[in-house]
Amino acid sequence: MTHNTTQVKGQAEQDNIITVNNLGVQFEVAGGRVSGLKDVSVNVPRGQIVGVVGESGSGKSTLIYTLTQLMADNAIVASGTAKMDGADLLTKSPREMQALLGDDIAMVFQDPMTTLNPVFSIEKQMTDIQYRLDIPYQEKRQRAIDALDRVGIPNPELRLPRFPHEFSGGQLQRISIAMALMARPKVLIADEPTTALDASLEVQIIELLKELQAEIGCSMIFVSHHLGVVGTLCDYTVVMYHGDVVEQGPTRDVFNRPQHSYTKRLLACDPARIKERSKRLPTMNSDGLEQIEIPAGSYLASQLEQAQPASDTGKQSQPLLDIDELRIRFPMQGKLAALLSGNKDPYLHAVKGVSLTVDRGETLAIVGESGSGKTTVAQAIQGLNEPWSGAIHFQGRDLLSLSARERGKTRRDIAMMFQDPISSLSPRMKISDLITEPLVIHGLPFDSREQEARRLLQIVGLPLHFADRYPHQLSGGQARRVGVARALAQSPKLIVADEPTAGLDVSVQGEILNLLNQLQEDLGIAILIITHNLNIVRHVADRTLIMNMGDIVEQGETETIFADPQHAYTRQLLDANIHADPV
Amino acid sequence: MWLFLLRRCGLAVLIVMLAVSALYLMIHAIPGDPASIILGPRATDEMKAALYIKMGLDQPVYVQLASFFANILQGDLGYDVFSQRDVTDIVLEQLPWTLALIFASVFWAALVGIPLGCYSALHANTWFDTLTGIVSVGTIAIPSFVVAIYSLLVFSVTLQWLPAIGAGEQGDLLSQLEHLILPAFAVGLGWVGYISRLVRASMLEVMGSNHIRTAKAFGLPSRWITFRYALRLAILPTVTLLGVGIGYLLSASLFAEIVFARPGIGKLIFDAVSTRNYPVVMGSVLVTTGLFVIATTLADFINALLDPRIRAGR
Repeated sequence: MTHNTTQVKGQAEQDNIITVNNLGVQFEVAGGRVSGLKDVSVNVPRGQIVGVVGESGSGKSTLIYTLTQLMADNAIVASGTAKMDGADLLTKSPREMQALLGDDIAMVFQDPMTTLNPVFSIEKQMTDIQYRLDIPYQEKRQRAIDALDRVGIPNPELRLPRFPHEFSGGQLQRISIAMALMARPKVLIADEPTTALDASLEVQIIELLKELQAEIGCSMIFVSHHLGVVGTLCDYTVVMYHGDVVEQGPTRDVFNRPQHSYTKRLLACDPARIKERSKRLPTMNSDGLEQIEIPAGSYLASQLEQAQPASDTGKQSQPLLDIDELRIRFPMQGKLAALLSGNKDPYLHAVKGVSLTVDRGETLAIVGESGSGKTTVAQAIQGLNEPWSGAIHFQGRDLLSLSARERGKTRRDIAMMFQDPISSLSPRMKISDLITEPLVIHGLPFDSREQEARRLLQIVGLPLHFADRYPHQLSGGQARRVGVARALAQSPKLIVADEPTAGLDVSVQGEILNLLNQLQEDLGIAILIITHNLNIVRHVADRTLIMNMGDIVEQGETETIFADPQHAYTRQLLDANIHADPV
Repeated sequence: MWLFLLRRCGLAVLIVMLAVSALYLMIHAIPGDPASIILGPRATDEMKAALYIKMGLDQPVYVQLASFFANILQGDLGYDVFSQRDVTDIVLEQLPWTLALIFASVFWAALVGIPLGCYSALHANTWFDTLTGIVSVGTIAIPSFVVAIYSLLVFSVTLQWLPAIGAGEQGDLLSQLEHLILPAFAVGLGWVGYISRLVRASMLEVMGSNHIRTAKAFGLPSRWITFRYALRLAILPTVTLLGVGIGYLLSASLFAEIVFARPGIGKLIFDAVSTRNYPVVMGSVLVTTGLFVIATTLADFINALLDPRIRAGR
């Protein structure tokens, strides 16, 4: 840990509100203990923002939850101290800790949709947390209204009695911030507060946090795997890897003159920082250029032999997928209720006339914020919803006019990668069964399920013993790989990937995209990527299509769109994309 | 909220009507001629025919059904030829006994089961939790009539603490309560297990959720978090279970009623079916079905009051 002490020296004379020294945390699991944090030393200077970056499993969450004693029961502090204003946080009794939380320390969490209690109004939750204050209820209520007003919730007085499910994700995150703000904390801890939000919301939330931090004059610990966000927001940056702090210091130094090899590689594989467009992205362990071997004997390999060279298939007159004037609407009211209330159009028009084509071996990206209708289009291709009008031609056949049985057969050639990798896998099935299931469903030839599963695991770069695991034992990145394996098993012609890299750190993101891209080159698979992550679109997509409120606002060659956006909305999206280096 | 209420009530009426019609048709499919049973083996064909007309059995089934529904709307459940009394009177006479038994059973089961479940969840995987787990599954597994017979043997015959049979002296509330204890114990025991297991499971789930972590992160007192924030959500499935449970017990309390020789709806239906007494069967089943639907609808309303997302009709 020599580099730690040297890095920290510069700030040693500073007034630190939190000093963590040699903190070690272990988890008790069946058959022993595993290490969560090893000898971590971090300082949080008063009035400054400290960013903690690292991939999932690096221990960044363990750090902040240990400081606040909100760890799972199986966590044990093995060594070290964590002092706040001189008093050790780790040895505080639950009652002492409770007095500190919501007063001197406030927190903002990752998933705004689930951080508030669904059965209580915002009013109740915001007044409850002021239980320490000896003031009349009306005053607490007024404080809540003022806080909501401050974070930009329109009509706070009217919205206050509402329930969490009546707000959007972005608004809920503002409310969470308002709650933290009401505490007037000395330290604000934010755990991936923008990960679940769209790019433009992300910018707004970051701005808000920055303003409020300056206003209250508190310190902030900001945990994120998003390098760009940390670079823009934080004064200091702490880089964590495998439960260890590998580098820390002023953000500008860490980003511009990284000392540790891990930091250097982490920065190198951020697609936002790679200027040249490249379909192969560098990852932690490689430059992304090596070939993945497709094991002989697998169903995929047999398809590979039959596959024609990409040059032949690419130039066909007929596109693989051709969507024409697709319209999808969802009823918002019952027919009777609509008739009674005189509502002539009781529908939510999710997709308003979308036309697009995907050629063989091509990658098309549909970009838009949540609510833009991009996922609805993807679901329509898979037959997961009922379009109101329009046509979807796949390999020349109109999918919407096919019978359910015929339609099922076409699914063999269209595979889907779902947005949430773990919850889209059946929790009671083993990985080996999950990834070979498509072969069984479509009655494709393979010699044994066991062997085929091993080959697929090998292709997507997972250890072979994963065959016997269950979905809940996977990390986000591993579950993505299982999703890729499942999509590949049947050797599809088109993969529809809904947010294929959401929630992944840059390195794993690169690995997943490289995998998809190589398989595209080898097998001529077309890929339709649905995402709001412009940084990856710039690298992997041949063509890009921008959607907003159910409409296509712009489409064209990816490079052209990024270089010369025509539509105001596209420019707005590109501006909101955080890729800046620290200033 | 009003739309939710209206829709739920409309559905309830529809369910009752469908259930009663189905039952009416089913009863007519049971072999056995009510007239021959009533009049005995020496009845002439003329006598049977006369009784048929009196009971309205000469009409087509749909006419019988229609007139049955028309009468219900006037509060008339039909006429029992056996006892020469109105079915409404017979059912209303028996109903209070059953209702008292059901509410006493469910009440004590919830009173014990909910705290037990909470405590188990908050002390998950301790010896206490394991013990309550085993005991709970045990009580669920034992049929209520077995509990009834054994508790009768132990508390009435051997220890002679409590009266064995009957429902108590008329007008003597204390005696009636005394007679209620054992049957209510027998019927409710299995529900203690059900309720505690269910509360434990949902409490564990809720305590692990993100919003509970938020409450902790704002330093709310832990009792406050458990009993106001978590229990409010964890109780939802239990309310539904109790709604269904009360409805179910309307007829399932039959065993306790037979063992303890108590009057009640279950026993009434049982006797009426054995004697092909259609009007009484129809009348009492209609009332129990109605109460079943009311109980489950009430549970839905309570859930809607507790959870705003249900009110929104999702």
